[in-house]
Amino acid sequence: MELANSGLEVYLVEKEAAIGGQAASFCCKATDVCTKCSFCLVPQKLNDVATHPRISVLTNSVVTRVTGKVGNFRVEIWQKPQYVSQEKCIACGICAEVCPTKPKAIHSPSPEAIPYSYIIDQSQCLHLKGEKCNFCEEICPTKAIALGRRPESWELDVGTIIVATGFEVFNAREVGSLGYGRYPNVLTGLDLERIFAHKGSLELPSNGKEAKKVAFVQCVGSRNENHGYCSQVCCKYAMRFARLIKYQNPDAEVTIFYIDLQTAGKGFAQFYEECRESIRFIRGVPVEILEGSSDGLKLRFEDISEGKVERETFDLVVLSIGMVPRKDSWDLARVLGINLGDYGFFGTRSLIDSNKTNVDGVFLAGTCQGPKDIPDSIAHGISAAEKARELLKG
Amino acid sequence: MKVKIGIFLCDCGGSLKNIDFPEISRSVQEIEDIAFVDISHNLCLEEGRKAIASRILGKNVNRVVIAACSPASCEHNFIRLLEGLNFNPNLLSIANIREQCSWAHEGNVTGKALDLVGMAINKARLLQPVERKEIPVNKEVLVVGGGFCGMKSALELSQLGIRTTVVEREPILGGRLSELEGFYGFEISPKEMLSSMGEEVKKDANIEMLTSAEITRVEGDAGNFSVRIKRGVKEDSRDFGALIFATGCKAEILPRYFELSPGSKIISQRELVEILQAPAKLERRPEVIGFILDIADENSRLPSLLALNAALAVKNKLGSEVYVFCKNLKVDSEGVEKLYQEARNRGVVFVKFEEKPRISERNGRVKVEAEDILFGEEVSVYCDFLVAEEKGLPSEGTEALASILNTGVDSQGFCQDENVYLYPVGSGRKGVFFVGACRGNLDAARASLDVGSAVMNVYELLALGKAVVEVEKVKVDPQKCRACLTCIRVCPHRAIRLVKVDDEKWTAKIYDLACDGCGICAAICPAKAINFEGYADEQILAEVEAMEWQYGRE
Repeated sequence: MELANSGLEVYLVEKEAAIGGQAASFCCKATDVCTKCSFCLVPQKLNDVATHPRISVLTNSVVTRVTGKVGNFRVEIWQKPQYVSQEKCIACGICAEVCPTKPKAIHSPSPEAIPYSYIIDQSQCLHLKGEKCNFCEEICPTKAIALGRRPESWELDVGTIIVATGFEVFNAREVGSLGYGRYPNVLTGLDLERIFAHKGSLELPSNGKEAKKVAFVQCVGSRNENHGYCSQVCCKYAMRFARLIKYQNPDAEVTIFYIDLQTAGKGFAQFYEECRESIRFIRGVPVEILEGSSDGLKLRFEDISEGKVERETFDLVVLSIGMVPRKDSWDLARVLGINLGDYGFFGTRSLIDSNKTNVDGVFLAGTCQGPKDIPDSIAHGISAAEKARELLKG
Repeated sequence: MKVKIGIFLCDCGGSLKNIDFPEISRSVQEIEDIAFVDISHNLCLEEGRKAIASRILGKNVNRVVIAACSPASCEHNFIRLLEGLNFNPNLLSIANIREQCSWAHEGNVTGKALDLVGMAINKARLLQPVERKEIPVNKEVLVVGGGFCGMKSALELSQLGIRTTVVEREPILGGRLSELEGFYGFEISPKEMLSSMGEEVKKDANIEMLTSAEITRVEGDAGNFSVRIKRGVKEDSRDFGALIFATGCKAEILPRYFELSPGSKIISQRELVEILQAPAKLERRPEVIGFILDIADENSRLPSLLALNAALAVKNKLGSEVYVFCKNLKVDSEGVEKLYQEARNRGVVFVKFEEKPRISERNGRVKVEAEDILFGEEVSVYCDFLVAEEKGLPSEGTEALASILNTGVDSQGFCQDENVYLYPVGSGRKGVFFVGACRGNLDAARASLDVGSAVMNVYELLALGKAVVEVEKVKVDPQKCRACLTCIRVCPHRAIRLVKVDDEKWTAKIYDLACDGCGICAAICPAKAINFEGYADEQILAEVEAMEWQYGRE
């Protein structure tokens, strides 16, 4: 975005069908006042990118090979077949009306998707399964659908490359004792984001009732032997969610289990003080979640402040999962020739030059370099753009 | 000139079935001043755009109404198209009949669509063209502060070919970071790093250095600031396109929390650094050194960072026992968790408390009594030295600077950024940027990202030597203006100033490049002297009237 504004041509290569990454599926966490979660920045930025005349967006695409050096990179890109042309689709929905399958093989993207064009589900589409159906192709008023399209390859000549591949969330199933995936009422922070984004309020997944007693468990997949870092966002999102749950249902009891609360940031300590009035904070992270009677979840934890091992029953447990590097980081690192640093995030030259990699002209932006919250990621992205601009001045 | 309106209705590929387009077309055609009503299927695509272009040119219309999808999805395309036709885009009025009408309701919504189109027509009638103009901007940048962030900003701007002037109040460059003994993440000591940065700055032809200098006055707007710089007794005026403030912070031990007296064993970071640099001066090697955090401030990451670094330095150089008393260790910066692990592996003991520990001095030692919540027991530690928590505070003169700039300070006294979460490094005033510690961002890794952001913003603003503005989109009528200063007080962007009309009369004037088009001034002006084109009272009332017309008819 910043580079395009400064007059350069930018290609944005995205693996998924829509841009936005993880952040696009988050939700606004405002109660009666804004709690400054920064989510609202995301759709705005996405729209700016999609409509910018100097940015070409290549979705469903992966980088397969990079040759050349700084100033003259040649990037080979493989793009999945674009059955629905993103330039032509106007999202009118006529194709879905005529689609004979159930569920529909062609459907609208998620509401926040950009570009907002229809998607074909390959496992459902009769044509792609070898049958003769092409109802959607025939009826499309803008001729956007071409079921015969093949994957395409592109070659781009670029001066610099910015890697902004983001993060994956920690797979909470790895901590078996917390029961994620086994008990319906154990959720992750990301699940909660999506529930609020789509429904706007919280219900128990098991029976649709209101959650009365909620626990947040911090540092799941952060600050341990394999992940020796703080994910930087979890304390803040947990506190904001806790406030939101409390706001929507003042009778709910909310508890946050933590190791060290990260209250740094302008005005955040004050927010924490406000939270303490209505939310219980317990130092010590539960070791085990067991199914209790009537849908309850029994948490076993050590309340360090009291020095006792306790058991308590909750309706809903939210695991504040941290950020981990993407599993495909290694592939991209090999393609680009850049090093992986600690714990599998991309490596940088030094802490105060965290945009630079070991390859001249390849820069890092955002959480692919290490955990960051939304404002820090934006700052990191702009800073990467500035480094790239320095290289391509004139 | 007589108003002639061209209307385009788009049925989105025929998918907006709950709107009767021929009915709308018939009703609208009866209205005065309408040149034509077209129904098309996809205005947003190439064929639709071509149709718009040929109709506008062919029929010689001077207002355009488009009834289609949300402006968020397609308005930019239409604006670009109209610009290409030399048709002022401000004469376009859009009715959102897809997201806000067809999609929002079930059943026939032709009536509502007709309302929306009618509103857009009534508004279009009153729209006035807004000109776009290029204005020249000055490509020189002023950097205030010659510490880490200031020097880094100047060096990075120089790389981009932008000339800077660095103003530093002290006689030498370096700032506070150079006082530190060691810092995690730096291969070389901060002192060496900053002095080599200083050398680079001195050699750089794009950077002019003014030490022992201060700024006393700032006038003008983004692109064309005029700054008075005082150096000794001399005071000069210089012109700049943008200003970057990197005025840093100071760290202080607050007497409210710690009693310091001469000869006390409760010491500051700085005193610890002196001890570490010359351990031979001590009578004997200190056996126990304590650090205490989270008493004065829980907002800041700085005390945790300093304590971890210093604790490791003590282990390396003195080999003393080290205790860190804290509530919540702030590990949410890169590499800090690792540092914490390392400190624990090296035998640094972390004592976590909830209640504030009791501190007393006896027989040349400091006794710290704390309720250790991990043990669940009272712990007493006798320290040879206790390093007190230092609170990061705005550096001397920050408030005066904020008043020179008219940008204000936050609750802690740091420079107020435009929006901490949304637009960091920007200030309330376009073209003025705050980086690093002066806006309360106290760790070096994050501060260096501030520098990148600010430099990029400056480059976007100034690189071309000119900027495009919408001329007088928001405009003061000097006849009506009573110079009451209300608008000047409320403008969050400091874009309004008082100018002289003649010997007797003054009027408010809005500077186009500084103006963000928020409209607060237009809403608040008691004399209704400010007109915000596109949102003027009569334009909005005309829209309301259109609805009445509809309901009246039914």
